[in-house]
Amino acid sequence: MQLDTFLLILRILFIVLLYLFLMQVVIAITRDLRRTSASSEDMDSKGPPVLGHLIVVDSGPTNILPGTRFDLQPQTIIGRGPTNTIQITENFISSEHTRLWFRNGMWYVQDAGSVNGTYVNNQPAREVISAKPGDIIRVGYIQFKLTA
Amino acid sequence: MAQMTQRSSGGFRRYRWTELGLFILPIVILLLEMTQLLLTKLDPASTPDLRKFPSIQELTPIIGLVAVLLLAHIVLNIFFRKTDQFLLPLVGLLSGLGVLMATRLGPAIGDVNQGNKQLVWVVVGLVICLGTIFALRNRNIHWLARYKYTAALFGVILFCTTLVNALHANLDTPTHDQLKLGPFAFQPSELLKICVVIFFAAYLSENSDVLAEGGWRIGRLHLPPLRQLGPIALMLFISLILFLVVRELGLALLIYGIFLSMIYLGTNKLTYVLVSVAVAVLLGFVGFKLLPYVRQRFAVVGFDVVNWQNWSDADTHFASNAGYQVVQGLIAVSSGGILGAGFGLGHPGYVPVIQSDMVFTAFAEEFGLIGLFALMGIYLFVLYRGFRIAIEATDRFSKLLAAGLTSIFAIQTLIISAGNLKLMPLTGIPLPFLSYGGSSVIGNFIIIGILLRISYNTALERDGMG
Repeated sequence: MQLDTFLLILRILFIVLLYLFLMQVVIAITRDLRRTSASSEDMDSKGPPVLGHLIVVDSGPTNILPGTRFDLQPQTIIGRGPTNTIQITENFISSEHTRLWFRNGMWYVQDAGSVNGTYVNNQPAREVISAKPGDIIRVGYIQFKLTA
Repeated sequence: MAQMTQRSSGGFRRYRWTELGLFILPIVILLLEMTQLLLTKLDPASTPDLRKFPSIQELTPIIGLVAVLLLAHIVLNIFFRKTDQFLLPLVGLLSGLGVLMATRLGPAIGDVNQGNKQLVWVVVGLVICLGTIFALRNRNIHWLARYKYTAALFGVILFCTTLVNALHANLDTPTHDQLKLGPFAFQPSELLKICVVIFFAAYLSENSDVLAEGGWRIGRLHLPPLRQLGPIALMLFISLILFLVVRELGLALLIYGIFLSMIYLGTNKLTYVLVSVAVAVLLGFVGFKLLPYVRQRFAVVGFDVVNWQNWSDADTHFASNAGYQVVQGLIAVSSGGILGAGFGLGHPGYVPVIQSDMVFTAFAEEFGLIGLFALMGIYLFVLYRGFRIAIEATDRFSKLLAAGLTSIFAIQTLIISAGNLKLMPLTGIPLPFLSYGGSSVIGNFIIIGILLRISYNTALERDGMG
């Protein structure tokens, strides 16, 4: 066998391996997709459950009545924009202001890059902060009480 | 004890097996190609001799690259177990092929060390990629959104340096967009595009409601309010200046393309895209009519290469002067055929700037059509994963950022491969990860780092803090 025949074999091997790699990626992606679609179907069948409420304690300069209840979903975003779970159209609320999510029996609160900030019991929530029922969450100038 | 075994099996199951599995074939492919490259230097008529086979020493560059990739895999395993598992193997294979091609093209263009230089850049790029993930670690990704005007300012500064540089330098030299910093020639455009995407993502995620509602109405057309349109018009202006003054058609197209895709993703309004495309086509047409330089760039697109036997003297003159690069590139592509000449067996030395702008034709010649399809497949998977990360991201800014960064790859690959194949004017845009060049590799790895970070944030929110 001559070297150029050997090189031809190497070339064909290269092409075969390249396509095998592509196939492997396709298989892995399909498996990944199936897993995520199965888990999202689980969630969809129940619908977004209401896991807690935010009750307005101090409405600041707004017209919202103290005592107003907002439902909390497992993933809740508070902000001025229409895509938010809880929409509050006030100037001092940013387009996307605060994000809350529920995991393993705990609430997690994080500021979504707002101008006027988010505070949990007067602690700034720039980083993720955990919160429990009874805590006071301040979004801009509005104070909420977290309840179960 | 039982708890411990359970925990270790949990860790065992949570190991990034998919990523490790996807690394096996790229490693084999890279080693195989390096072996082939070394074997092609021997006499083709001789019988294969085990003693003449490349030793471990000669394979060191590729083994080093593989080691660094696996090291990155381990780092991700320890610190960011839940981040995307597909991007690193795909990008690893692409940049490995880039290193191999740089090694192979080095002797042809008279720079023997080119492969090693590219290898160093890829290693530096991987380190910067991991560094990006760590840098965005403790603050969330919105930290970037907060500094959007800083990013924009930085972009404008980079842009101005390009502008000043271009006005000083001779516009006809191909590398007039480089910025010299000591011994390094650095291309500001690589960072400029990332700044542009960060700015757009932050800007659109804040103002999309306003932009989507529209302030003005003409019949059924919604026009956005003028104040919110300001920064966007500025971007348009910048890309026009790039095109007309710096004569960077590729960069102008890239920035305009990013602008179009992000404004569509951000507002979900086709009107904006159609209007912007119409404006671009109109301005392009005016430019084509008024500026001889633009006509020159477009001349090659209409040039008939297939009918070469009936070339007039003017055609021959064009093919050996203004159109030389593209025509030689096309000859290289066609000589590759379907199966390709084989790695290390083509003749890439005839194509000018084969190592960066024309590297697509080098791959076409040596890997053939079938290899090109595989390469495009790898790019498509990178894009797929990028957009997937964007879809899964939970907030607007991350979504727009991931989608915008992914579109950079898409638009760049499109522009340069279309330029190489004479479907568009050839522009000096690098093919992501495959072209030789440090700033391009580093810029691309920063993008990959941000994408990995976004997918990690999403996974953290989905599965809790653990």
